Amino acid sequence: MRYVVRGTVRVRPEAFGLLFYDTRTTSLTFVRSGETLTVAPGAPGEERELLIAGWDGRPEATARLLQTLREKGLIRATDGTD
Amino acid sequence: MLPTALTDEALRAPVNVTWEITEACNLSCRHCLSADLRAQQRGELTPEECRRIVDDLAAADVFQVNFGGGEPFLRKDFLDLLAYAQAKGITSCVSTNGTVLDDDLVGRLAAMSGLFLQVSLDGASPGTNDAIRGAGTFARILDGVDCLRRHALRDFSLNMVVTKVNVHEVGEFADLAARLGAKARLSRFRPSGAGCASWDDYRLTKAQLLELSEFLGEHTDILTGDSFFSLTPESRRRLGLTMCGAARMTMAIAPDGGVYPCAFLTDPAFLAGDAAAESPVAIFRESEVFARLRANDNAACSGCSRFSLCHGGCPAVAYFVTRSLEAGDPECLMAALGAGV
Repeated sequence: MRYVVRGTVRVRPEAFGLLFYDTRTTSLTFVRSGETLTVAPGAPGEERELLIAGWDGRPEATARLLQTLREKGLIRATDGTD
Repeated sequence: MLPTALTDEALRAPVNVTWEITEACNLSCRHCLSADLRAQQRGELTPEECRRIVDDLAAADVFQVNFGGGEPFLRKDFLDLLAYAQAKGITSCVSTNGTVLDDDLVGRLAAMSGLFLQVSLDGASPGTNDAIRGAGTFARILDGVDCLRRHALRDFSLNMVVTKVNVHEVGEFADLAARLGAKARLSRFRPSGAGCASWDDYRLTKAQLLELSEFLGEHTDILTGDSFFSLTPESRRRLGLTMCGAARMTMAIAPDGGVYPCAFLTDPAFLAGDAAAESPVAIFRESEVFARLRANDNAACSGCSRFSLCHGGCPAVAYFVTRSLEAGDPECLMAALGAGV
């Protein structure tokens, strides 16, 4: 499964993981993902691919995290289910 | 909610920046936090300097700039700067006194996407508001809000700085905002700028603070970016306001480019650098002033059972009342009541 950060969401790397900002609500989401998640480069307003490096080590925890981010409307799956 | 690690570790850039873009203002509100900066008349950044600052913030992925003043719309090139920031992907929030909003200006604002407006209104009645913001301002502000509605500009809030003389109208204020299609926001009164002189006249009594906390607990739709100490632990957790963001998540830029940890801490003791001459993001990362504020452990409060819920409250209030950052917030009701709240 592949995921993208929605175009209405901005995200940047921090020491603890990723910091998401929803431009529609100005709300922040701190994700303690360490180096598990990274984001491909992209311009503001464009969807950016979410790169996942942690499936092998902690697949269940990573899946739960991704589901939470989907439920918050920060990312979407590219298979058309979102 | 801030991750605990942020108490020890700084972000690589601020999340949002408060930028007092101009000294100019057509009002003289009795609690104006920027009154001292305006009185100093230290000048303003040039348009080129402003664009360089936006470039710097955008390159560091700063998400949001909260423009204020003075009255930001009185700066002639402000709309150009707003458009420039938005083109760089920065979400903009503009705090306006509402009296300069007309069809021409609002029509141009309505064409911008991702813009949030905050209109100041310090009461639900002309008598209450005008005593703070000036004669006739209540009607002029509501005219401005009508203009926003005519242009279908929806992302705006009405903001009330809660003081001793208007706290009795918070309910009516929320109702008025709802009728006008606005979100209601309540902000804390602080002894910064003109607030120093009006502190004793306007500061809430302990009883009023407690009543306000109960009101906020019952009206969770009302916005507040502030920490009212008497909130219940549950309310505080819901708001996610467990720690001051100054120097950790936010910083402030004054009209002349002076960089401070927060718009309420624009005292010379907290001047961290000059955004006209240096990268404001570098100042955020490297300034000793910012490091000192991040390291502040609020010694007076660290033994409190609720410390994890507030981390000592607002350093600006503590500093301007006690001249110490480590004194803890003087409006803490735990200390006042001497018992659990």
